[in-house]
Amino acid sequence: MANWKDYCADLSDAAITKELTSQDFALKDSEGKVRGVAYVIETYGIITNKALIEKAGHSMDEIKDFESLKAVADDIHARAAELGFDAFTSAGMDSSSDWRFKTHLANLPIYYEYKADNIGTTEAIKGSFLDGYRKIWDLYITDSATEPALLSSKTGSDAEQEFVDGQAVFFQNGTWEYDAVKAIGDENLAWTPIYIDADGEENQGVCTGTENYLCVNGNAADEDVKATLDFLEWVVTSEEGTDALANKMNFVSPFKKAKEASNTLVKLANEMVAAGKTPVSWNFPTMPSEQWKNDVGSALTAYAANPSDDTWEAVRVAFVDGWAKEYAANK
Amino acid sequence: MEKVMKKNPLYFCLFLLPTLLAFLIGFVIPFGMGIYMSFFKFNTIDNMEWVGLDNFVQIFTGDEKEVGIVANSFWFTALFAILSTIAINVIAFMVAVLLTRNFGGTNLFRTIFFMPNLLGGVLLGTIWKILLNGVLVGMKQTLTTNGTNGFIGLLILMIWQQVGYMMIIYVAGLQGVSDDLKEAARIDGANNKQILFKITIPLVMPSISMCTFLTITNGFKLFDQNLTLTGGGINHNSEMLALNIYNTFYSRVGWKGIGQAKAVLFFLLVGAIAIIQLKFTQSKEAN
Amino acid sequence: MADNNTPTKIKSADEIKVKRKPSDIIFTIVFTIICAFWVYPLIMVLINSFKEKLSISRDPFNLPDEKSFVGLENFDRAVNSQMDFFSALVNSLIITVLSVALILLCTSMCAYFVIRVNTWYTKLFYYLCLFSMIVPFQMIMFPLSKVTDILQLNTPFLIPIVYLGFGAGTALFMFTNFLKSVPLEIEEAAMIDGCGPIKTFFSVVLPIMKPTIISVGILETMWIWNDYLLPYLVLRIRFYKTVPIVIQYFQGGYGKVEWGAIMASMVITITPIVILYLCLQKHIVKGVLNGAVKG
Repeated sequence: MANWKDYCADLSDAAITKELTSQDFALKDSEGKVRGVAYVIETYGIITNKALIEKAGHSMDEIKDFESLKAVADDIHARAAELGFDAFTSAGMDSSSDWRFKTHLANLPIYYEYKADNIGTTEAIKGSFLDGYRKIWDLYITDSATEPALLSSKTGSDAEQEFVDGQAVFFQNGTWEYDAVKAIGDENLAWTPIYIDADGEENQGVCTGTENYLCVNGNAADEDVKATLDFLEWVVTSEEGTDALANKMNFVSPFKKAKEASNTLVKLANEMVAAGKTPVSWNFPTMPSEQWKNDVGSALTAYAANPSDDTWEAVRVAFVDGWAKEYAANK
Repeated sequence: MEKVMKKNPLYFCLFLLPTLLAFLIGFVIPFGMGIYMSFFKFNTIDNMEWVGLDNFVQIFTGDEKEVGIVANSFWFTALFAILSTIAINVIAFMVAVLLTRNFGGTNLFRTIFFMPNLLGGVLLGTIWKILLNGVLVGMKQTLTTNGTNGFIGLLILMIWQQVGYMMIIYVAGLQGVSDDLKEAARIDGANNKQILFKITIPLVMPSISMCTFLTITNGFKLFDQNLTLTGGGINHNSEMLALNIYNTFYSRVGWKGIGQAKAVLFFLLVGAIAIIQLKFTQSKEAN
Repeated sequence: MADNNTPTKIKSADEIKVKRKPSDIIFTIVFTIICAFWVYPLIMVLINSFKEKLSISRDPFNLPDEKSFVGLENFDRAVNSQMDFFSALVNSLIITVLSVALILLCTSMCAYFVIRVNTWYTKLFYYLCLFSMIVPFQMIMFPLSKVTDILQLNTPFLIPIVYLGFGAGTALFMFTNFLKSVPLEIEEAAMIDGCGPIKTFFSVVLPIMKPTIISVGILETMWIWNDYLLPYLVLRIRFYKTVPIVIQYFQGGYGKVEWGAIMASMVITITPIVILYLCLQKHIVKGVLNGAVKG
């Protein structure tokens, strides 16, 4: 963010900012000025095929934390030949698809570290929850029909197909996948939170947030900035605008007058919140750079091909040392 | 004619100006800007900060990991250019020698060998990615597992693409060698091997140097195939120079100046190779 | 550098009248086998275009079976998906045809001027053009994309200007090379008949240049049709994509890889190219031989 905040107009007093349901959805710079406004709220976690869980003789209620998730997954994986399906879809690390793990999965150790340290961002991550990151990654790559060494050429589409075809139970992805996964039937869909064996994770929910913000070019002429803001206000308040957001783009948007989107995964996520599960926030904007994500992704892929303490050390270096380095470099 | 065309500016405007203007837009101005920008630190062009030679210094002495990546991609590229030049030319020459013999189907075979050339780098890379990953599954590896896999994959791909092209040039060269000369040598008691090395190869030397020039520059400048086949591999293990420059520009924020500086050095490298090759060819042909 | 010793025509085997030996059948067999391997990758694409996407990436070498056969679904997906392969095909056609036409017309005229008007600025221009041939695209890609953005040359109808500029070197080089060998007498005769330079060029010089025009045209077509990076950086990518761009996009431009659509769109792309090649083979081979200087 430090890279581009100077190009964005200050939106603190803009109408669109006031239309937000929560000021958490405004992206503020270090001085507290609003530089961006979220326009779509999304949720990700482990999309689960409930029917297959039951077919394997388990139930969703069993899965409460990392240990119980691992127990269920290990059991399904062990009986994969007999059941005709495996636990996890392939964790494809092709460069088209590695964001599921280098960004989305990496959010969890960051979330827990921020929570433990009571901070919202940092220039020096400690990596105190990296053991959990390794545990869940090990689980993904082990309890799956795909050879871990082959993950570098596997893609998110492969995983999606495996899930839709009923070849695997668990598929880490988000609400945007609804159009593809609804093929297994709305009644069979469920969320499993991404557990990383952290304390207090029994109450953890799925990850809800955004990384897509609207920004206005601060270097543009004043009248252009004003016209843009007027238009944005119209989009989030008018009948036509809110309808387009919800039904044409299938967005869940964080504005007071927003219409509800017809997406079962969103409804299920809302039910989890209602049931008292704490949503995990998205901390991607605090990741130092794309380069950091790419380096973590490369290290994860190399680890999958050859899991050992040495290759995990490379992940740790990319995660912790890379974080500080990229922050310093982008100052 | 010259006087008429020189005197009346109408002809200048009609004949030369369109190409000249396009050339200014499409080459001269961007080239000048490219040199200029390599001395700045910037992210967008309206916000540039003069840093002198710092970008160039950064490439060689900056962040240790980055320097390592660039060094790796330099050696990868150099080795690739050399090995692919040898492999492609040896194979193409052999195929050309055989296909200038007179046996059934040579025309059809030439047609087939040339075919892969018509497809662009993106299609070629895509086809071979599927194919080679399919083969590597048996060894529990992929094209990106290590640099060697990426290297061999690119080599196979380039051989498939370029052998037909070079073969065409060699066939034309070989057909220019007169049969009488070979026959005369045979009567004088030369064997096939002697005829090949003493007569044929020296006479097709112009074709050989032309093909060498083409393959070596293609090897150094390779981009599309690298992007689609391996995408640079894990941890940049199969990232060639052109792709490294591209990634420096477009996947890193605040590195565009360094990217442009790399591009300038890359241009000097490719230019130097082209000039050396040209001088070499000219001196050979003068003899 | 143009190699005048190399014949620009390849003799076909029939033209060389030497008696065939019976042992030659072995060569025919060996080459038939090699060529079968040589075309296999293309056959593989065709076979896979009828398979379901997971079985493409898992078992690319298998023939479609009952389970993996999906008929024309991949073709439907390629043409009707959000990537809109069909309009990419149209864009590619527009860009290639317009650019090649523009390059042929402008650079042939330009070459004529450069050869006939021998003065400092034509020489400078000529050498600059030669120089541009050795400059790798990465050197100018970023500034070029900025310049074309400012000048709004980012549509399929205007990008030919960029191709004319960046591709001028090769074409100009081949045309001037040819024109050097054209004797002045022919033109002088036309001049005496009262033709100005424009008429002389179009009615006398251009027809003589026809073989070179075909060669240049073929080389430029092969380059522009297959080009990826230049249109990717110059075009307004959200609105205009070309065939190579879409095929690359299908491999993860939006976080997914559509192997089925990729295979189908490659079949749609490759088929006309192969047919065209088989029809124009003689010209293409000649173009390659004439243009073996491009580097």
